[in-house]
Amino acid sequence: MISKKLAMDVLNIATKTGADFAEIYLEEENSVDISVDNGKVETCNDSLTYGAGIRLLKDLQSVYGYTNDITAKGLKKLANDLSASFAGERIIEVKTIKKVKQGKKNQPRIPYDSYPREKIVEMLKQASEVMKNYDESIVRTTASFAYDIKKVSIFNTDEKQFSDARTKGRAGLVAIASKDGKIETFYSAPGAQKGMEYFLEEIDLNKFAKETATSAVMMLSAIDCPSGKMPVVIGNGFGGVIFHEACGHSLEATSVAKGLSVFSGKKGEKIASSIVSAVDDGTIDGAWGSGNIDDEGNKTQRNLLIKNGILNSYLVDNFNGRRMNEKGNGATRRQSYKFEPTSRMSNTFILPGKSTPEEIIANTKYGLYAKSMGGGSVSPATGEFNFAVNEGYLIQDGKITHPVRGATLIGSGKDILLNIDMVGNDLKRAQGMCGSSSGMIPADVGQPTIRVSEITVGGTGGEINND
Amino acid sequence: MTKYKKFFIKAKEENLEALELTIRKSSNFSFSFFNNEIDSYKMSDSFKISARGIYNGKIGTAESEKFDKNTVDYIISRIKENAMLLDNEDKPFIFKGSKSYKKKNVFNKKLAITTAQEKLQKIKSLDIKVKSASDLILNVETQYHEHAQEYTILNSYGLKLTSKTNYALVYSSATANDEMGETKVGFAYRFISDLDNLNQEEFAKEVVEKTISQFGSAPCASGKYKCVFSPSATSSLLEALLSNVSAEQVQKKSSLLADKLEQKVCSSKVTVTESPLKKNPFFRYFDDEGVATYDKTLIKNGVLKTYAYNLQTAYKDQVQSTGNGYKSRGKIGIELVNVAMKPGRLNKEQLIEKLGKGIYIDDISGVHSGLHPESGNFSLIASGFMIENGKKDKPVSLITVAGNIFDVFNDVIAVGNDLNLQFNGYEVPSILIKKIAVSGK
Repeated sequence: MISKKLAMDVLNIATKTGADFAEIYLEEENSVDISVDNGKVETCNDSLTYGAGIRLLKDLQSVYGYTNDITAKGLKKLANDLSASFAGERIIEVKTIKKVKQGKKNQPRIPYDSYPREKIVEMLKQASEVMKNYDESIVRTTASFAYDIKKVSIFNTDEKQFSDARTKGRAGLVAIASKDGKIETFYSAPGAQKGMEYFLEEIDLNKFAKETATSAVMMLSAIDCPSGKMPVVIGNGFGGVIFHEACGHSLEATSVAKGLSVFSGKKGEKIASSIVSAVDDGTIDGAWGSGNIDDEGNKTQRNLLIKNGILNSYLVDNFNGRRMNEKGNGATRRQSYKFEPTSRMSNTFILPGKSTPEEIIANTKYGLYAKSMGGGSVSPATGEFNFAVNEGYLIQDGKITHPVRGATLIGSGKDILLNIDMVGNDLKRAQGMCGSSSGMIPADVGQPTIRVSEITVGGTGGEINND
Repeated sequence: MTKYKKFFIKAKEENLEALELTIRKSSNFSFSFFNNEIDSYKMSDSFKISARGIYNGKIGTAESEKFDKNTVDYIISRIKENAMLLDNEDKPFIFKGSKSYKKKNVFNKKLAITTAQEKLQKIKSLDIKVKSASDLILNVETQYHEHAQEYTILNSYGLKLTSKTNYALVYSSATANDEMGETKVGFAYRFISDLDNLNQEEFAKEVVEKTISQFGSAPCASGKYKCVFSPSATSSLLEALLSNVSAEQVQKKSSLLADKLEQKVCSSKVTVTESPLKKNPFFRYFDDEGVATYDKTLIKNGVLKTYAYNLQTAYKDQVQSTGNGYKSRGKIGIELVNVAMKPGRLNKEQLIEKLGKGIYIDDISGVHSGLHPESGNFSLIASGFMIENGKKDKPVSLITVAGNIFDVFNDVIAVGNDLNLQFNGYEVPSILIKKIAVSGK
């Protein structure tokens, strides 16, 4: 997007007042959104994101700015303005820039921009039809599709240039069911860093549509979830949001470095039940949260976060790594040039264990089966989390019985990890959008079916009746 | 505006019936201190042009942050292609203009001309005050965010409107460990138009008090409690309730307020207004379709008075747009600006006294996942205090409050006078409600 010569000039302006590191991040992204509401195409929008962010570091201080003006004049002005926040003498100078070769994972076989939009619309209408026809209680459906094609270039004062091409696509299905004054909504949203081949060959969107409608209708007959402490079996796939929220965020250097995380200074210590091992893996080809490089140019890695219950690794970016005496481990990400990058998750999941999901349910006398989880949030400092159960069932005498609505799971990350007492063999990943200080980024969550011996369940159905 | 002329010429050449451009120019300046040392400093300028055009009887849209010789062709060609894909029956609207507009000058010059150095000094002094307000505080982070924006709408009918706004937000958070070694976090924030008007001592005291008052917090027993929701908790619940006021939700049968106009939907203590013309950071005198906004009552003494409309939904119901058309990713949706709840007579302490025995819910979180606007059901993590004999007692954390938002607003017994402008732009007081289901021990 810019020449090496211009990049060097800008980096040298940025560092003239004593910054010990500078970096230019350039981005151009084409995004397309299509949405079908009740079977009719309602919107189709093209959006072009374009800009550059410049970051300066000096010891433990960072300075960041961005602009849409990627001309020599615009970039030099920004670098100059940013450099004014330091008042020292130059200590580094860039004399050359070498292009670093990257891997070529996550590339589409059937690129979106060469695939007719009419055919995408057709696919969405079919899925809408499947949802609508599932049951007469389905009152509204939406089916949407979004893809984006992003080109990234990074230049830094280590005299390196990196580039990466990132393409991702995701469908979104929503079924709204209504009966007797009750309304229930269910959604699913499969996606990947792949091209159209993912939707044409790897998954069947109509199958997702049917499952989405089934769950929405099922929840209409749900009873209010009882509240109190109880064993909870959490389903595979998106159930991994529990680990993402309750533990993953607290392992990011963003909070660990300043001692603001419950897991600060706990490396080598037991933080989870010994049957729990978990990874963050940005290297999986085509996975929703993958990349060839991270947003500092470091190669993505498979980081073993927890090994048999022992805290093994944090997710580290180069800047926060300075406080921790650690190097970045390929985990630095940002939504766009408008965000300063920091340590984030990519594809994070609990590794499979030995139990079958059937055994886990059969071994639970009374509890909640959280088959499908909604989103949640966590305070990294206290580790307190909460998340919603989208589709839940009571377990009574080792069997799944009534569907329940309105369940929320709350607790503290450090307790829940220690209370995992069964881990299934059915690992699955699911796609989410993760929001934090460097914006919204695509991230996979995942896990096999697990059981937590005790979680506080919030619901409107009153105290548990264990008879 | 001559640099945008090319878009309109091209649109005519390409047989677009009408074209609308909105141009957003914004600049941000922010920095933060961590334990009295500056650790982040950010500045930016950005630009986005967003276009909607009528072609073949449908609305096509496109947006771009790039503005060069190819932008005109990109925008017009995308509008045409996208319009051809649509097959909904919605009548397309590009607006000719309202009769009059209530433009006000809300741009704060003093904020814009105060030097960065001066702002840094003042925020540093605030950070030091928070840190030194108590020996128990371990870490403090104080942030300053300043945002300025110029928003312009132009269309082929000659409509041309511009609005310029700016504001600053000061935010400070502190952490401390209690006797049990549990970490507690407290924070406070203010929207400000003048740094000199910020009472630093009072602000620092609030941050520290919010942190330390949580020491020893634990879940309370499960059960139904009489309850006061803080302004922050009230604003989250009210926002969810008001999503049902959207005429689009009503027309698409996914609003719980469908067929409820002029009916009682809340307790008679509840009056809610939308005041886009209020002079504050969220001020808007025209919406994203160029319709003049106006102040209105949404719920009066518990009775639903109006839905919120954009041009499209208003046409369907044969009414006028209420100036609530706001754009997201090209689509004109419906949003409310500057919502406020009419305050009552009691201050927070009096409200707690009136409560007698029960619980004060200071904070709820997880609204994006634990609250379903379509059904109104929620189950959310919460923290606060037990109330005994009309006074604050033990701190409570790690509990959930659950119920239905309509039940909450039906159960309002009293409304406080402690109005507070929240992050979501809602200015609401504390409310006292009959009962809430709490799940704890």
